[in-house]
Amino acid sequence: MIEVINGGRWTTIQDRGRPGLERFGIPAGGAADWFAAAAANRLAGNHEGAALLECTTAGPTLRFNADSVVAITGGKPAGTVDWQASSVARDSILTIGAITPGLRAYVAVRGGVDVPLVLGSRAFCQRGAFGGGFGRPLAEGDRLVVGDLQVSEPLAGPWPSSHRPPLGGPWEVRVIAGPHTDAFDGVALERLTAVACRITPAIDRMGVRLETPGLRLHSQEILTTPLTAGAIQVTPSGGLILMLADHPTTGGYPVIATVIAADLPALAQARPGDTVRFREVDAAEATRAWRRLTSWLQLGR
Amino acid sequence: MWHIAPAGDQALLVRLGTAIAPELLGQVLALDRALQDSRPSGLLSTVAAYASLLCRFDPGVTDTARLEASIRALEGHLDASIPSGAVVDIPTRYDGPDLADVALTKHLKPADVVNLHASREYLVYCVGFAPGFAYCGSLPDGLSVPRLASPRTRVPAGSVGIAGRQTGIYAVESPGGWNLIGRTTLRLFDTAADPPARFKAGDRLRFVPVT
Repeated sequence: MIEVINGGRWTTIQDRGRPGLERFGIPAGGAADWFAAAAANRLAGNHEGAALLECTTAGPTLRFNADSVVAITGGKPAGTVDWQASSVARDSILTIGAITPGLRAYVAVRGGVDVPLVLGSRAFCQRGAFGGGFGRPLAEGDRLVVGDLQVSEPLAGPWPSSHRPPLGGPWEVRVIAGPHTDAFDGVALERLTAVACRITPAIDRMGVRLETPGLRLHSQEILTTPLTAGAIQVTPSGGLILMLADHPTTGGYPVIATVIAADLPALAQARPGDTVRFREVDAAEATRAWRRLTSWLQLGR
Repeated sequence: MWHIAPAGDQALLVRLGTAIAPELLGQVLALDRALQDSRPSGLLSTVAAYASLLCRFDPGVTDTARLEASIRALEGHLDASIPSGAVVDIPTRYDGPDLADVALTKHLKPADVVNLHASREYLVYCVGFAPGFAYCGSLPDGLSVPRLASPRTRVPAGSVGIAGRQTGIYAVESPGGWNLIGRTTLRLFDTAADPPARFKAGDRLRFVPVT
């Protein structure tokens, strides 16, 4: 059992989400930085589907009532040993402090956090306020049961820094054009990739708003269409909304480009004020990047 | 000709047209069914909305070119029809906070707004935005109003709204910019139900005034 002494700024229980239910308006969800979450489970020796804590800007304070092993990855919380498995003694208190660089830290406990499966996943869904054990972020007094989803010994030693995506801005993020290329003029994406966009404070698990200083993109209206994570919507006022894990499943603004899956972890770590430059790539490069990132998760296998 | 474009590196968006029309939705749903039947390798899931279908795929199994070829092979071979399932009644209490404003804008009495809204059957063109939210159309011309200038941060579950030529039902509490004219006690989203959403694209419904 783990007792939540302080829930932190916005801590939710996440796993790989519930992809495949988008037709019911349910986002795939799951850890916003899927790579860091998967690495935390690998370090802790957990099954890849085990649930863990996603901490945002400042993490929780937890009391462990049994000897445990934890692994912290993603953004760097003050006062923690991260990217390696470490022991936590019974009755000790773990404080996940302010997170920087990065925005989201992941805390895997060996065995996983055991909360009921809702629609096949333990992940908290912000849009529907369900899942994640409590249907809300963690709060003082919550008690977390540790599961038995350990499948191997914890990894020995730290996760090599050569096998992690970068954690701080300025960010270079790769995109595939479209799907609504025809709602923009022929040079719109070229103009977008030429400017440094700025992350605004409007960030949550559903998406990130960005500003494009010196650039005002114009678009035509489109019929509401399904959305994917990574989609960059252009609003009528020319602002950008970039879709993250809990994004609405459909949207009515045209999507000028879509961030490749391999670069979504970086965007989940971008902080307000960071700059982002988008770079257009082709499908082959996106697939290579995806294979590279997923191969890093095979570490030690 | 269908317009097929990558939606990132792990999905394709197929657009069959650009209009809100029952015939187009019928074609989208026929394509969806055809893909469920033919199951191109690597296709993970699909999402239908209005005139488009999103097809997610596993990049370890297939790629955009191969999946696009499988989809193109179905073009011109669909057995499409206008959706014609049973019509579900939505008991609706027309006491929404925007009913009076909508009436004013359209130079109608509130009772006329209710009668117009409840006067026809609607087609569910899409379930999206939030869990279980049903986008339905099309509204009578006389009821078309723009979205609210500033969206509400909290719209209660069961709220019935209108915007443009569409009407919709909020299945879970969420932010929202539609004009709220009523609400229903019908439960439209339940994580314990199978399927979790009461409606799917292609369903038909009718609002029935209750007091």
